[in-house]
Amino acid sequence: MSAEIIHFLIFPGGLFALVLGIFMLSLERIVVARLQGRVGPPIYQNFIDVIKLFNKEILVPKDSKEIVFMYAPVLGFAALIAMLYFIPLPGVYEGAGNNSDLIILIYVMALPAISHILGGSASSSPYAAIAVNRELKLMLVYEVVFVIIAFSIALYVGKGSAVLSLKDIMNYQLNNSPLILDWKFWPAIVAFVIFVLATMEFPPFQVAHHNDADVMDGFLIEHSSIPLAIYEMTDALKIVLLSIVFQIFFCPCVIGGDVVVNLLFFIAKTVIFVMFFSLLHAIFASFRIDQAFKFLIIVPTTLSLITLVLVILSIKGLI
Amino acid sequence: MSIITRSPFLFRINTGSCNGCDVELATTAMIPRYDVERLGCRYTGSPKHADILLVTGPITARSKPYLIEVLDELPRPFVVVAIGTCPTSCGIFRDSYSIEGPLDKYVEVDVNVPGCPPRPQAIIDGVAKALEIWKRKIRDFK
Repeated sequence: MSAEIIHFLIFPGGLFALVLGIFMLSLERIVVARLQGRVGPPIYQNFIDVIKLFNKEILVPKDSKEIVFMYAPVLGFAALIAMLYFIPLPGVYEGAGNNSDLIILIYVMALPAISHILGGSASSSPYAAIAVNRELKLMLVYEVVFVIIAFSIALYVGKGSAVLSLKDIMNYQLNNSPLILDWKFWPAIVAFVIFVLATMEFPPFQVAHHNDADVMDGFLIEHSSIPLAIYEMTDALKIVLLSIVFQIFFCPCVIGGDVVVNLLFFIAKTVIFVMFFSLLHAIFASFRIDQAFKFLIIVPTTLSLITLVLVILSIKGLI
Repeated sequence: MSIITRSPFLFRINTGSCNGCDVELATTAMIPRYDVERLGCRYTGSPKHADILLVTGPITARSKPYLIEVLDELPRPFVVVAIGTCPTSCGIFRDSYSIEGPLDKYVEVDVNVPGCPPRPQAIIDGVAKALEIWKRKIRDFK
């Protein structure tokens, strides 16, 4: 019993993931700055940002729905904390294993965006209304992409009958070769990268958030102090969760049986994951919302459908 | 206490400037070499997140209500930095019928960065001075 509470609050979920994610967001800022020829902030910068935001004055707009405005950030944060308890960590933690946690994952991945939408629309700002509209349009497409990728992996691992347990997907790849080496999944990996860019709202999908020239701060425009800090922490948890999901789906490699070595290996893989996305952040400009929507509905959807068709063909024994 | 003063969020407002100062501010945000992010700063899109307000331009009659609204929305304590000659003394626009400046009619200005436009190094120096003032203001505010 107490071990489960520790798993929930401190080690794989909770505090560990929070601290790791906040440092990863700082690392992202540093790498983007170095790629642009700047010095960049220190590595603990986002940590100080969050501590500072907890110490600031809370401003609530007069016309807002105050309860939704104040408590919407908690929804996304709670969802991600809970998911980090459910999900297995390759070689380190088994997960609160039940046999259909892929379904829970698909549901939970939508909740941070829903908390953005609720908080933004309760704030009664026209900028937030525009940003919420954009976020909703993006969410409609990238969730579909994620569902198709997850479904094709589940079909491939189960040889025709879908395996909905993340632990089974991980064990299949540990016994056979990881799916990142399988050419049938290369389109899905590209689609997953685009999905991560869209769900973290890095450029080129920076249309609803931190886009100062367009919608100011988007759905966060009226939030200050603690709600804003909770949104930042949700982002930190999200980047860790996405890194774990990528590793479970495509490369759950481990070194030996030692937990500490595997944990360090996991952190190294997360650092490489974040640095890759910083590179993409630095080299892309931002889309308009119509371009982003068209791109998302054409390119990653098609790529993930190609993988689905290839997987079905390989199950039938045709390729 | 002292650790939280290393993370100021900046908000810039153009109150009728000729855009020269805004271009110089943009160089501190995204151009190589002159980088205000090494001080821990981050440009935000909303005055409700901001700790330091950067004002460019003389206050024109059209922009005055918006400036007052932004000053109202800033969480206390905040620091005001006047970028360029215009908010300090209205510059060449002084005594024009449409100018309601200078800035210190409306708020206590903490740092003046003179120049038309000021160099990016001068702006970064002004932000660094504003950080010291912000630290003192937090101490007095509590």
